[in-house]
Amino acid sequence: MNWLQKHWDARAALNFMLGGAGAGLMIAGALVYAQTLAPVVLSLALVATGLGAVWLEIGKKLRALNVFFNPMTSWMTRESFVALLLFSFGGAALVKPQPFLPMAALAALAFVWCQGRILRASRGIPAWRAPQIVLLIVSTGLAEGAGLALLLGASPALVAWLALTVILRAVAWTHYAAAAPSAALRAPGKALMQLGTVGALVLALAATQFPAVAPLAGILALAPGLWLKYALVTRAAFNQGYALPQAPVRGVRVP
Amino acid sequence: MTRWAMVADLRRCVGCQTCTAACKQANQTPPGVQWRRVLDMEMGEFPDVKRAFVPVGCMHCDDPPCMHVCPSTATRKRADGIVTIDYDLCIGCAYCAVACPYQARYKSSDDALRPDVATKCTFCVERIDAGLAQGLKPSVDPEATPACVNSCIAQALHFGDVEDPNSNIAALLAENQHFRMHEELGTGPRFYYLWDRKA
Amino acid sequence: MKRVATYCYQCVAGPDLLTVKVEDGVAREVEPNFAAAAVHPGGGKVCVKAYGLVQKTYHPDRVLQPMKRTNPRKGHHEDPGWAPISWDEALELISRKLVGIRKTGLLDASGYPRVAASFGGGGTPQSYMGSFPAFLAAWGPVDMGFGSGQGVKCYHSEHLYGELWHRGFTVSPDTPLTEYLISCGANVEASGGVAGVWRHANARARGMKRVQVEPHLSVTGACSAEWVPIKPKTDAAFLYALIHVLLHEAPRERLDAGFLFKHTSSPYLVGAHGYYLREPASGAPIVAAALEAKETHVALEIGADGEVLGEGRLEGETAFAKLVAHMQPYSPEWAAQICDIPAARIRRIANEYLDAAHVGETIEIEGKTLPFRPVAVSLGKTVTNGWGGFECCWARTLLATLVGALEVPGGILGTTVRLNRPMSERHKSVRADADGLMAYPFNPTDAKHWSARPNIRNAYRSMVPLAADGPWSQALGPTHFSWMFLDATPPGLPRVTLPEVWFLYRTNPAISFWDTAALEDRMTRFPFVVAFAFTRDETNHYADVLLPDATDLESLQLIRIGGSKYIEQFWDHEGFALRQPAIAPRGDARDFTDIATALAERTGLLEPYNAAINKGTLGVRLGEFALDVATPHQSAAIWDAVCRAASFELSGGKESNGLAWWKEKGLATKPFPRTAWYLFPTLAAKGLRFEMPYQERLLRIGTELGRRLHERDMNWWDRQLAEYQALPAWKDFPGLWDSGPQHPFWLLTSRSMQYAWGGNVGMQMIKEVADNIAGHGGVILNTATARRLGIEEGDWLEIATPHRAVRAKAVPRQGIRPDTLLLLGQFGHWATPVAKDFGMPSMNSLVPMSMELTDATGSGADIVRVSLRKAA
Repeated sequence: MNWLQKHWDARAALNFMLGGAGAGLMIAGALVYAQTLAPVVLSLALVATGLGAVWLEIGKKLRALNVFFNPMTSWMTRESFVALLLFSFGGAALVKPQPFLPMAALAALAFVWCQGRILRASRGIPAWRAPQIVLLIVSTGLAEGAGLALLLGASPALVAWLALTVILRAVAWTHYAAAAPSAALRAPGKALMQLGTVGALVLALAATQFPAVAPLAGILALAPGLWLKYALVTRAAFNQGYALPQAPVRGVRVP
Repeated sequence: MTRWAMVADLRRCVGCQTCTAACKQANQTPPGVQWRRVLDMEMGEFPDVKRAFVPVGCMHCDDPPCMHVCPSTATRKRADGIVTIDYDLCIGCAYCAVACPYQARYKSSDDALRPDVATKCTFCVERIDAGLAQGLKPSVDPEATPACVNSCIAQALHFGDVEDPNSNIAALLAENQHFRMHEELGTGPRFYYLWDRKA
Repeated sequence: MKRVATYCYQCVAGPDLLTVKVEDGVAREVEPNFAAAAVHPGGGKVCVKAYGLVQKTYHPDRVLQPMKRTNPRKGHHEDPGWAPISWDEALELISRKLVGIRKTGLLDASGYPRVAASFGGGGTPQSYMGSFPAFLAAWGPVDMGFGSGQGVKCYHSEHLYGELWHRGFTVSPDTPLTEYLISCGANVEASGGVAGVWRHANARARGMKRVQVEPHLSVTGACSAEWVPIKPKTDAAFLYALIHVLLHEAPRERLDAGFLFKHTSSPYLVGAHGYYLREPASGAPIVAAALEAKETHVALEIGADGEVLGEGRLEGETAFAKLVAHMQPYSPEWAAQICDIPAARIRRIANEYLDAAHVGETIEIEGKTLPFRPVAVSLGKTVTNGWGGFECCWARTLLATLVGALEVPGGILGTTVRLNRPMSERHKSVRADADGLMAYPFNPTDAKHWSARPNIRNAYRSMVPLAADGPWSQALGPTHFSWMFLDATPPGLPRVTLPEVWFLYRTNPAISFWDTAALEDRMTRFPFVVAFAFTRDETNHYADVLLPDATDLESLQLIRIGGSKYIEQFWDHEGFALRQPAIAPRGDARDFTDIATALAERTGLLEPYNAAINKGTLGVRLGEFALDVATPHQSAAIWDAVCRAASFELSGGKESNGLAWWKEKGLATKPFPRTAWYLFPTLAAKGLRFEMPYQERLLRIGTELGRRLHERDMNWWDRQLAEYQALPAWKDFPGLWDSGPQHPFWLLTSRSMQYAWGGNVGMQMIKEVADNIAGHGGVILNTATARRLGIEEGDWLEIATPHRAVRAKAVPRQGIRPDTLLLLGQFGHWATPVAKDFGMPSMNSLVPMSMELTDATGSGADIVRVSLRKAA
């Protein structure tokens, strides 16, 4: 009786994958701004691509701006507003990193937070409605962003940030998985812990001695997280189904 | 204050799908879209098995998750409790469809009347409104009563004003033990299932 | 927008009443006829099938003009090469054949009609074929015995024995009053129609306890208080054990001794040879002074063919005493081994039945005081047909008899007659025979009147005395014989021949009968087949001409409604309902009545055709509204006359409303007394007894039939002759189907309510909603069995007999015995649009058509032993 939602497919999943990683990249970029603005550009591109993918999924594409109509209760509306802020501050940061890059990073954090809340508000889907999902979505965004940033250029601070975020993500995943166990997430979860966490940490540690392995650490932090979110949206999103607390009594009760 | 609600008597329902078919025809829903449908559920293991037929659809919740998540405000709740969709506002993001705990929402490109937007059971709101305007009483006059209720051959489906202590459904709820689907979610569904008479 | 009133009679559980919303000449929506709520036993509602009528009307694959076959070769893989022709050409083609037959003779060299006609289930097509029955009546002999489901797909033993014992062609609990119902596989929630569902829901709300005894948990089982998962084909043993408890464990005073003594043949004395002891002067059976007694009288014992078996002072034992002894071995412990039901459970159910019977109580209905016995046993298909069907029907009727619950309020009712006459009024069919019992129109078995020259190919008159010889008897004989004997007519019967013209309407034997491949093989040889066609299907694939009749919402007809009819269709009202065109016929489709009139005209039968209409063939004798017999009449004129005559009859001569009035009102009724539901008062008033428990008449006719057959060296019916017993014994019925250890599973079928009677199988919407009910997408098997065999939901499985195999997707469920498989409905389509893409097989292609599995009434059971494995 449990039914896998099919309304949101890979296009919606892309928003969580690219949007989350892009937001995380903005944050990572803000932390290591000294080197380059490339993370900002890539971050905005990723978030835009994610939102574009969602746009491809909606039924009435020309009415897309109606998405802004319900800031009072809809986390999707809030995500959209925050995306506007993210693009505004991010664009401004390209010209004037201070104070716009930290502001963009804050917007990115809010963006990824909104994404977590979007899923949490889906009350019929146990894999999404668990409160632990918000930290999971935020931490995956941060870790994947850190991984992406490492691909763009390593620094000790970034490596440390990566280590911090993958640990945070592992903690978030552990809590989440305990609250909302899902067969569909078993394989990506395992990958997240073994490759995305242990593997990434080992390589991050190695990168302190052999900087060349830093991008590998980035890839390990990035890929399992993306896989997990893809599975979370498209494979684990079973509606809880129907349940009868009482069976009907037909005619008379029978012991 | 009027609060429309549906009552399904699980002791009576035989899963015939007449309501499903009547709804499809009355609301002209496309293939695959069933605003009202009846589930075939099994509980227990052989030989101690129970099988039940469970009418489902939009529960017109007091606190509808679909409405809260809707980014366009297309989904709203009327004062009489009916949850509505403004097909001209809806962007078809289907967030409501994934947020609804009751799998009640659809989006179909084949829907000739409502393509690519969210749709669901409306409690046949147009019939109710038109009927009320003519001085008819929903649940008493077929012209003002949802098509599924009109069609039910087991008298399993009932519709009425749950706030009216003299209504048909108030009486049913008073006389029988009932539950609502997934009450623990706090959605306050306005679809009641009768399962036994009160002791 | 307008609403057009009409009826739905797509299954025998109807008719039900509806309205169609029509906008701009387009039928939009089906709704209940709320105006009929007060008179219809299901609140004026119609079931899901009626909602498919809109799609039916606008089906994209409808045959919309007459078609002629251009490929003379007939075969499963042959393309008929349908070419459109005009109505004129089509009618000319058919009438040329028919006129030719009239010239050469209506019967062929074997004495069989050269024209045959097959119609679908239970007479329902008659409510759609307009005046075609008048054409058939005008024609003369027509073979209507080519089966398309009869026998295997019907309650065959119930039909025949039910009519014998209590005028019950179909037997129903008095659901509005019953308090305890043992239902052996009767799937009333799927087959009882709107009235059945409505009433049983009310009965549950009232607190009626229904115990459902069946190998899988059907929708009816689901809606019952208790499910007893019995081993297939062992119902007779279960019922026998219930009887044993009543007779051997319960105190005798708990039974309805008064009823048994006064109103049944229980106190008749049975002599040493098994026949009643009779008064030497009058020949009447001698009634003992007590229910259980041995008495000696100066008497005669007369056996088969009037043979005097004993004369003088003869000792006899009452039929009841013989019954008590007969049932002694059938204890719950004995049955438990056979049925796979614990003895304690059987005993509990028997005692609950007895407790609920209210023996001694009465109820007042319409001012009459009647016995009140709110207990019933209902039997389903596969229980009431094939071997064991007789024993089950006997046991069920006996269970009612023992507590006086036969044809009384709350008990079991025979709701209609089809073999006894008059068909419209079963009370009038109650006539006395010489033995103080209800007379029955057995086909003769005496040497003078029995004939080895059957009137039609299935030989019902020669082989099945219980089938009687009325208009319905052809369809109630061994209808598979028409098919089986085409290739091998058994000794003693004239060689079975192909009919020269075969008419088909609303029937699809190529998928709906048993051994469908064998049927198809024979159909390839039928020389000229005329099919009234809605879409192409598996049977009209073999036709020569397709004729598009205007369908349900497009044509005109008036039928009788209410009174007491099939299943749960016993009403508090009776009258007539009109089916009228909600929209104009699509394409070149033509009103059936106009087709019939044209055929009558072209075959020179106009006068007898009109005369048949005047005589009442369309349901009402026209009387003063009679048609001029010499001229052809349009459909509207014919039905206007029928409407006026119906109105006249209904109003006792006060009104004569015509078609326009009926079109507006849709129906008209008058009250039907509820006391007419119960046959007991009529029997009691006439001083007649129910022939229970002892079956002297069956013993006699069986013996006589055996002699007649053996006199002509016809020994191929011996197994069936053994069914004629005075007190039926249990035999190893399940063993008859044993196919060895390689085929351990029982394959059963069960009614799909959404597809009941199958005519709507091509509607997309019906498929869509039916899929909400488990089993419409594959074979149901027990979850543990699936696990044991490594089968997952949706896996393709092969289900095989030693001869054939089908493939189906696995649907594991808990509600089925581990040794049982279930294929819902009858699918297996390969030509019908939409349905041919279901991927759903049918057990019909697996069930062998055989003499061994034919019982004495000429029926077989819908059951077969199979193997199961994952398909490659």
